[in-house]
Amino acid sequence: MDKHIVIIAELRGNQVNPITYELLALAEKIRRTHTLPVKMILLGADVEMPAREIADASGEAVLAIENGHLKTYNGELTKDLLYDILSALYPVFILAAQTTQGLDFGPGLAVRLEAACITGVNALVDKGEGLCFSRAAYHGKIVTHVLSATETTLLLVQPGAFKAVEKEAKASGPVEIKTSDAEPKRIRSLGISATRSEDAGLAGANVVVAAGRGVGEKENMALIKQLSALFPRSAVAGSRPVCDMGWLEYKRQVGLTGATVSPKLYIACGISGAMPHQVGMQGAGFIVAISTDPRAPIFNLSDVCIQEDLKRFIPALVEEFQKRKRQ
Amino acid sequence: MKILVCIKQVPDPETIFKVEPAGGRVIPEGRLKSWMNRADESALEEALLIKESVSETVVDAITVGPGPAAQVLERAIGMGADTGVHILVPDDDLLKPLTIASWISSYATGKGYDLILAGVMGEDHMHGQVGPMLAELMNLPCATSVIAERIDPAAVSVTVEREIEGGQRSVMEIILPAVLTFQTGGNEPRYPTLSNLMRAKKQRALVIPSEALPAVQDREKIVGADYPQKTRSGVFLEGTVKEKASRLLDILEKEALLF
Repeated sequence: MDKHIVIIAELRGNQVNPITYELLALAEKIRRTHTLPVKMILLGADVEMPAREIADASGEAVLAIENGHLKTYNGELTKDLLYDILSALYPVFILAAQTTQGLDFGPGLAVRLEAACITGVNALVDKGEGLCFSRAAYHGKIVTHVLSATETTLLLVQPGAFKAVEKEAKASGPVEIKTSDAEPKRIRSLGISATRSEDAGLAGANVVVAAGRGVGEKENMALIKQLSALFPRSAVAGSRPVCDMGWLEYKRQVGLTGATVSPKLYIACGISGAMPHQVGMQGAGFIVAISTDPRAPIFNLSDVCIQEDLKRFIPALVEEFQKRKRQ
Repeated sequence: MKILVCIKQVPDPETIFKVEPAGGRVIPEGRLKSWMNRADESALEEALLIKESVSETVVDAITVGPGPAAQVLERAIGMGADTGVHILVPDDDLLKPLTIASWISSYATGKGYDLILAGVMGEDHMHGQVGPMLAELMNLPCATSVIAERIDPAAVSVTVEREIEGGQRSVMEIILPAVLTFQTGGNEPRYPTLSNLMRAKKQRALVIPSEALPAVQDREKIVGADYPQKTRSGVFLEGTVKEKASRLLDILEKEALLF
């Protein structure tokens, strides 16, 4: 058996989730020190089109497994099918996306494969002892560097951490499609409910003003709305804690399990900026962060940092804005 | 029903952490405030809600941690859990998720739990691994990122809604026994009651020293820690509040962001 870097592609509906190509970018980085062939694995109910797309775009070998029970994600079946494939290969690194799917099947799959499992991978560093994977801890305030101590390592890769690279025209990779009639025994998928996906105007907004735990009290949400109202085509959003506290509707949540936004301007108010929030907003054109905590991770993601209490800063900003408008 | 809830004590998110230059050990600055990981608290609340609706339900809480972690068990019993189990470790700093999952599995195997609940992710190390690893070690089905669940009255299965990307929910039916990990926000965790807290003081958790459990070989090694690097310019504005407001507007104007 040849050693491999295995990439587990992810589908969203029947489209290739673009994070698949970010995984490929990490694989390329690993290959600088480990010259290993890449194998892309795809599971789904209808894999032909996405498998060809991945093979065309990557030039790598694609193995696709078609199973009618995978119209929507099924953790039990995913783990079973991936285990069968991977135990017949010799994967040194298994790369999957740190999405709600990856986090669901990844740790259990690693246990079954007796592999190391490193989640939240956002960088590759060489600490002199071999390839080290960096990940955020403590709300993103600290980065730890982790070395694998086993032959096989499963990595869950943070969305947006590695930039997908456009490859120069290369021959399409070989595609192998297998059909499977395996059935999940203990988990039955009942479909997707979209109770929270109503449009909150986040997708089309030029400016998103987002509130975090640092807003402090529900009453202060008025400040966020005031700030948002300065901009045409703007929307109010928030991090998970703000929605959990009932200060904002869940449909306005930005982050891993909420919306992903990429407005021209993102203003983060009292948001610490831990990984789950970061993946939802890191694609914004220009990021301004307001926080009292000088070590808030959001400041590492921002173009402009304002270390102030938003209760003082936002009124001052609104006043200055209106003064200029009158002139 | 018999339910086990895995809970963890984590530092307050406001804690400032320092990285020791030599060895890269992470240490908190000042006096450490700790509490129950919020997602674990949601899992516990969900177990207590089941206990209220399904008769003869027993809820046990388990934690893996050093001495002070006993506080979260006290809180769990204060909220209404029946018993607490403390897998006591000398120092939790470098415990790997597989080790924690293996110890909980050693304790829980053969005890007839119908449901094992946990938080989706610890706020401290943010691995998100203990729940799904525990399920695998115990050969149980698992659903992560659960926001709501409904137990079948005959208690043979549970229907769960998993939160997935884009605010959508994936719905599935899972045969019991099963492991579920919870998101925050699906319920409002209750406060402990005085009478339950008094019971917690008297009752004491069952303490199992980790040395008494099988050792687990680490599959990863933490070789260092750093502060995160900036991914953008991250210019801090200087001056009074008013000056900062004015400077920000200058910048937004220059970037053509004042539409």
